[in-house]
Amino acid sequence: MRLRKQAKLLSAALGLTLVLGACSSGSSDSGDKQVKLTVWSWDDTVAKAVPGFEAANPNIKVKVVNAGSSFDEYTALDNAIQAGSGVPDLAMFEYFAVPYFAIPGKLDNLGEFGVDKLKKDYVDAAWNDVTVDGKVYALPSDYGPSVMFYNQATLKKAGLKEAPATWDEYYQDAKKVRALGGDHYIAQDTGDLFFLLSLIWQAGGRPFKVNGTKVHIDFSEPGTTKAVAFWQKMLDEHLLNTKVTAWSDDWNRTLNDGTLASQIMGGWLTASLPQRAPKAAGDFRVALMPQWQKGDKVGAENGGSGFGIPAAAPHKDAAFKFLEYFTHGGGLSPRVDAGAFVPNTSVLASTDSQSKVNKYFGDQKVGPVLAEASKSVARGWQFPPFFEWARSTYGDLVSKYYTTGKGSLAGILEEWKQRMIKYGNEQGFEVD
Amino acid sequence: MTSPITAQHPASAGKRGRKQIGLAFIAPFGLLFMLVFIVPIFYAGYLSLFQQKLIGGNTFTGLANYTKLFHDAQFWDGVGRVFSFTLVQVPVMLILAMVLALALDSRRLHGTRFMRVSIFLPYAVPAVVSTLMWGFMLGVKYGLLGSLNDALGTDLDPFTPSTTLISIGVMVTWAFTGFNMLIFYAVLKAVPRELYEAAALDGANEFQVVLRIKLPALRQSLVIAIIFSIIGTFQIFSEPQILPSMVANSGITTHYTPNLYAYNLAFTGSQQGYAAALALVMAAITIAVAYAVQIRGLRNAFDH
Repeated sequence: MRLRKQAKLLSAALGLTLVLGACSSGSSDSGDKQVKLTVWSWDDTVAKAVPGFEAANPNIKVKVVNAGSSFDEYTALDNAIQAGSGVPDLAMFEYFAVPYFAIPGKLDNLGEFGVDKLKKDYVDAAWNDVTVDGKVYALPSDYGPSVMFYNQATLKKAGLKEAPATWDEYYQDAKKVRALGGDHYIAQDTGDLFFLLSLIWQAGGRPFKVNGTKVHIDFSEPGTTKAVAFWQKMLDEHLLNTKVTAWSDDWNRTLNDGTLASQIMGGWLTASLPQRAPKAAGDFRVALMPQWQKGDKVGAENGGSGFGIPAAAPHKDAAFKFLEYFTHGGGLSPRVDAGAFVPNTSVLASTDSQSKVNKYFGDQKVGPVLAEASKSVARGWQFPPFFEWARSTYGDLVSKYYTTGKGSLAGILEEWKQRMIKYGNEQGFEVD
Repeated sequence: MTSPITAQHPASAGKRGRKQIGLAFIAPFGLLFMLVFIVPIFYAGYLSLFQQKLIGGNTFTGLANYTKLFHDAQFWDGVGRVFSFTLVQVPVMLILAMVLALALDSRRLHGTRFMRVSIFLPYAVPAVVSTLMWGFMLGVKYGLLGSLNDALGTDLDPFTPSTTLISIGVMVTWAFTGFNMLIFYAVLKAVPRELYEAAALDGANEFQVVLRIKLPALRQSLVIAIIFSIIGTFQIFSEPQILPSMVANSGITTHYTPNLYAYNLAFTGSQQGYAAALALVMAAITIAVAYAVQIRGLRNAFDH
């Protein structure tokens, strides 16, 4: 008897929760009903825009969830799309991942929301990053113009008064830094694909040409070969530390003790370098990437991301409202205050970002350098839609070369191309 | 039996009733077993017959994934690696575990309880944590080994493509020796003390006791330990998954071990069907090897 009573109670309770659950999830965007947005983001600053947005839109509640960084999030999103449930209303994508989701139709074309009129408010290259086949699939939310972080104290020790402005000078300076002996190097490299691509990008190479599901891969353009040959020379003459890998504990130490004279990386490193190298406070400065021609101002990207609306998202109108708010509207300034670096021209030109001095970088005005680097990013770069796979494969190929020294960068890129062609065609693309 | 016609009926009904009660008892287990064991295997088998394409979606390809796998040099590279790893690491670990168990059982050591716990302790450390720890210790740049190199003027690097596997072997041995030692020690504890007394009366020395009593007693448990170890080493994953983020150019590829390859295929290459085929083939290989060891090992064990 007792058991049955409990069972009845239990089923009643279950029924109640089901009804309640139906209430909360069955709401739609229109009318006075509450909308609950789910946003997947590993960028902490997005949450800073939520209070302002909710105050202005009392019908919309925003929940920012960290569903993992980069690859982990993409896997989770792919799984959610496949399962047909749990798809967020907005998700974060590194620029290279946008084609992967856009081309198979997993992302909504934001043209429906009239985003084209926002184009002028972003740095050109950033807009290009979220555009696939002429359609916009995301709004840029943070940016990674490639810049050079250099340790002024180390360069001074090597007898150098200023940072290298051209790659020729960089090469000469590398020898002088190396002459300090020990573990002193101008840079580290253990096969960093994003760095190599930024070098190619800046030199004018465009190895990936993507047109819908057609992908053309070519590492033999003059811009590409120039960049690859230069880095090959740096490696051949042992001017780079190939023992210390970026993001490792060892890397932090070389940044701290000043043995690593420079690091060419995305501008976003500005925010985390102080934590990585607290002992080098005041030593580091930021400059544009060295140039191929003296006096030029050509840049490239290394990283950056945007947010898009998955095709299976439940509340698209509300999602776009929030997207516009935190990447373009009133939500920008709390995010910028929290350390976000964004490609919005209004922010880059603002007096605040132009005039603020950065204590860690020896009271340098870092903002103008990053703004300059953002504006000078060369246009027309494309990532293949299977880049996530491609970069892990590159890791397999390049690691062998960096440890044994057998082969060459150009040879690896060629082998990489062959693997991409095979994989891409298997996956239903037309790759050549 | 005396009156088959009348007796048969109630007897079989009772039997049936008992059978049903029995079924009810194993039902919870059976249900879970189906849910978490049988169903996933069949689902993997089903998945392995499809190819997932980024463009074009899922297509039924029959056994194409399997034929592709048999021609996949990257897969066989990983299989070869875990085979050679097993051939070296498992004997080293088990001999070490056996020596430790015999030492603990010799009753000539002080502080055996402390020893037992401290040798077993690494088994309780998750592989992820132990990999990070060993990564720091073996780091040539700033790790313990780096300092050792500086002090001795040597140039040892435990994470080059030719030495990484040895370093992983050290980590695995460290983690699992204690576990195997405990199994052996438990078996030795179960040996009747009378045997030792009889041996002593017969004038056997300590060495003869080990050779004639203790080692034969360990034989069966050794077979079990070998099988567990083979299954474990065939599934190496965490160490090669984590190491590349700590050390540069350790030679670890995305297909370093079959499990790592399956993981990368499924999650970076979105080739779930191919990964499922790989997992099933790898399971078949593991079962075959373990079974061969079991048959050989147990036959020998019973011969003696």
